[in-house]
Amino acid sequence: MTVLEQTIGQEDRVAEKIRRVRELYADAPEVGQAALAAGLENLKRELAASTQRQSAGRIGARQGKVSELTSIVPLEPGGGQRIRGLLDLLEGNFRGADLVGTLHDMRFVLLDDDTKLLFATAYDGEWDAYIDDFVTKIPNSMDILFCNCAGWPGIRSPVIKDWLLSHQITADAWYVASPNLTVAETKRLEKVGAALDEFLDKIG
Amino acid sequence: MSTETLASEAQDKVRRLRELFADAPELGKRALENVLTEIRSQVSEAPPPAIGSAGRVGAQLGKVSELTIIVPLAPGGARRLRAFLRLLGGNLNGGDKVGTLHDMRFVFFDNDTRMIFATSYDGDWDAYIDDFVAKIPDYLDIIDSSWDGWKGIRDPGAKDYLAAHQISAEGWYVAHPDLTVAEIHRLKRIGKAVDEFLDKIG
Repeated sequence: MTVLEQTIGQEDRVAEKIRRVRELYADAPEVGQAALAAGLENLKRELAASTQRQSAGRIGARQGKVSELTSIVPLEPGGGQRIRGLLDLLEGNFRGADLVGTLHDMRFVLLDDDTKLLFATAYDGEWDAYIDDFVTKIPNSMDILFCNCAGWPGIRSPVIKDWLLSHQITADAWYVASPNLTVAETKRLEKVGAALDEFLDKIG
Repeated sequence: MSTETLASEAQDKVRRLRELFADAPELGKRALENVLTEIRSQVSEAPPPAIGSAGRVGAQLGKVSELTIIVPLAPGGARRLRAFLRLLGGNLNGGDKVGTLHDMRFVFFDNDTRMIFATSYDGDWDAYIDDFVAKIPDYLDIIDSSWDGWKGIRDPGAKDYLAAHQISAEGWYVAHPDLTVAEIHRLKRIGKAVDEFLDKIG
């Protein structure tokens, strides 16, 4: 394809997408239709820039090097209370999560009158390797937290990955501010920044 | 706090943990005993920046906060929103404009009747929502008009709607709690400049 053909192909593609968005929002509430009309110019750029959805492997979305895991699991009776009590006692001290080394952020949210747990993380790389890290690095912490979930087979169980897969839901959209920075690379940059400050202080 | 106070507090916490897990599944009790020594040292140290509040709702660790909103979808809302997000390729570059957003996800569940909107962001809740309103209002309304009961980001009741549907996380971990999005961008530039500098003198 020549550059010209590519450009035309791209324009057609964006025009087709715009047409479909308009169709889609024909029966949207007034506020959505107004927003679409007002935001269409920006949207054209977004649609042109958009790339294919990336996958974290077996399940989950990925942008660049950073992936998302979102799970909703039903809790055992009393499980919500135990999780709340445990997290409260730890006062947000997740030393274990530092050990995993590939975890950007992680949240535990109790839903629907404490009958379900939402567990959502942002992590580096592929699903399988990430789960393996949890299994090898912090197996006990995983069991303590997740034994409160209905049907938890135990982190060392051969069916653990199937269980996790069955409760994970892939995000339909996933945004990361710095998709090319892993946790390790961010740590390295922090050190470079500190070293540079020190260097400038010395020669200053 | 004195070492003694910390130690006795730690003991008390371990006792409460054991109580909490008295009726837990066998697996959980065993795992607890396995790591009790580890946990004891964790609870006896002054924890790293303790989890605080992001303001009106949500947890905050250091400079980074979490927002987790669960909304019921309007009839047809899931179909519309999902198709819209697919057209964007699941790629939300508009997030860059907010400037304080680390990550953001949209997840449909309960047979497309509900949606999770979860983000990780810098600073306090009110300022963050104001940023969304000021910087990408139309973007937001295209998305949020799929939510049941949403009247628009410019509606005076918008913040109340968001706060009412947000659930504060019970646990919140961030690998780099002291780094804002802006600081990470600065570090990226420094890293690049240092590499160039080293190349030149190398």
